[in-house]
Amino acid sequence: MTIKVSGICKRFGSFVALDRVELDVRSGELLALLGPSGSGKTTLLRILGGLERPDQGSLTFFGEAALGLTPRDRRVGFVFQHYSLFRHMTVFDNVAFGLDVQSRKVRPSRAVITEKVRTLLALVQLEPLADRYPSQLSGGQRQRVALARALAIEPRVLLLDEPFGALDAKVRKELRRWLRRLHDEMHITSVFVTHDQEEALELADRVVVMNRGRVEQVGIPSHVYNNPASPFVYDFLGNVNRFDCVIDAGVARVAGLPLAIPAVGMAPGPAVAFFRPHDVEITRLDLPANGDGAPTPEVARARVRHIFAIGPTARIELDLSGHPVEVVMDQDRLRGLGVGGGDWCGVRLIRGQLFRAGAVAATTTYQR
Amino acid sequence: MPIKATAPVAGRPMLRDPPWVRWSLIGLALGFLGLFVVLPLVTVFAQALHSGFGPYFDALAEPDALSAIRLTLLVAAIAVPVNLVFGVSAAWAISKFEFRGKSLLITLIDLPFSVSPVIAGMVYVLLFGLHGWFGPWLRAHDLQVVFALPGLVLATMFVTFPFVARELIPLMQEQGVEEEEAAVSLGARGWQIFWRVTLPNIRWGLLYGILLCNARAMGEFGAVSVVSGHIRGLTNTMPLHVEILYNEYNFVGAFAVASLLALLALVTLVAKSVVEWRWGDSLAGTRH
Repeated sequence: MTIKVSGICKRFGSFVALDRVELDVRSGELLALLGPSGSGKTTLLRILGGLERPDQGSLTFFGEAALGLTPRDRRVGFVFQHYSLFRHMTVFDNVAFGLDVQSRKVRPSRAVITEKVRTLLALVQLEPLADRYPSQLSGGQRQRVALARALAIEPRVLLLDEPFGALDAKVRKELRRWLRRLHDEMHITSVFVTHDQEEALELADRVVVMNRGRVEQVGIPSHVYNNPASPFVYDFLGNVNRFDCVIDAGVARVAGLPLAIPAVGMAPGPAVAFFRPHDVEITRLDLPANGDGAPTPEVARARVRHIFAIGPTARIELDLSGHPVEVVMDQDRLRGLGVGGGDWCGVRLIRGQLFRAGAVAATTTYQR
Repeated sequence: MPIKATAPVAGRPMLRDPPWVRWSLIGLALGFLGLFVVLPLVTVFAQALHSGFGPYFDALAEPDALSAIRLTLLVAAIAVPVNLVFGVSAAWAISKFEFRGKSLLITLIDLPFSVSPVIAGMVYVLLFGLHGWFGPWLRAHDLQVVFALPGLVLATMFVTFPFVARELIPLMQEQGVEEEEAAVSLGARGWQIFWRVTLPNIRWGLLYGILLCNARAMGEFGAVSVVSGHIRGLTNTMPLHVEILYNEYNFVGAFAVASLLALLALVTLVAKSVVEWRWGDSLAGTRH
């Protein structure tokens, strides 16, 4: 275990930024701290980096208590959200800074520093820009300078705060792939903060979903995506159709809808049902399930509001007795169904999850 | 019709006033400046050289005048560095830390600007004068503050201490702590952060503050007048010496010293303009 966080609490005035956070960071992994703004993810990262002190709790780095250590002694590389490059220094001097400020006993010779900075600049593909100032660089280039600067001190852990937050979509995608490759080559334990679920799921080895200062779920991306531990995680990771319902006698019913969602073994009371857009199926109504075209508990009648058909998948917005429902399906299958805007169609819920209100653990996965 | 590239104001028809308005406004501004700034300045030099260069330089070489010049430079040489250190630390504390009483500190820094310099001088007389709070103690230890160099330095420091801090606080607040945090995360120690990160970012604002502080330190009259005691050749600074000579109807002497004082002020202004002109871009870069 590289980093162990236990029982960390942090308040800012009356605002609880972190509430008894437990977390293990494994050696060599790329870990994402994912959550909405105000969820405490950046505060946690700053505590790991030694830029913030927790009110309570303990933190160990490689088995050693780290809270009393300065950032220098922790040997962490920190990449700031807005890069925080030294504006009066060239790219070269920015990268060399961490080595230049080392005490004389440890500091490598000028030639070694120059060589090392050149190597790092080559790594981040910025060698030709060594003499430029930060203001003369693009956002993506600044980001890479910040990364090279953090790597120069040979950190044991790399911490990145919203590494792609300030970049435009195309650059962001490129840099994301590039960072993943870099991590696979260097195997440096890295923690990055993001509010972008796609970024977290695509890039990280493991994802930590945070909400209101607490860790909601930790796991590999596919597990977290497919088995969300709480309504919050379900809601936060990707698009989802949400129905407030009431469980009674092993069946959850949505007010005003003819849907019956099996809730075997769950206590009666209010609950929330989640269905991802690709776990909802559209059927044709002219092939009735029970003869007269009337809806069955399995197939509900809905009206097509809009179809967004760009690329291989189509996104369909349905009106299910006043509830908006989003469906994602293959373009070709949609064409085969012959359903268009304004048409009536049938809706089947294939797979979903039911959360009993107030009890995170009480869930069932529903699969037809 | 081609679109004309014009200056912002002249290009807007709504703001294009009739010529007579424009010319009378420009005339008014220039006339005012000429009457109240240029003319007095010219008069100072004209009066000083009234009887030619010989008497002018004689007046400056007079022992009391030389002593006043030395004293003024000495007072500035002590007060400006002290206020430099104070201003930087105050600006640092205010812009980088959160603490109770911060707004009170900001208000206090402005105090010398709002209080009459005469009062500042009086306060030091009340504190350190013969019958002041610390008077007996100072006398017992054979120390003299009022009517001596320490008093002059104290009064000058009081009057000039807002300049550096006032110049730096907005600048440092705007720059925030991001670069300092980056330096901390890269292992820099406190002094290294100050010398390598903070100071380079504030250097132009700092230079500005020092120049203004220096100009005021050399030109201060009111506060210094109260604590000086006007002892010729001992506690007279240049502004005080000018007054004495003037009251004795020694116009050539008075204006000669005054012209030197004005010259020092002009040098400061020129230095400031050169800084702006030569490094205007980086100044704008660090200021905005």
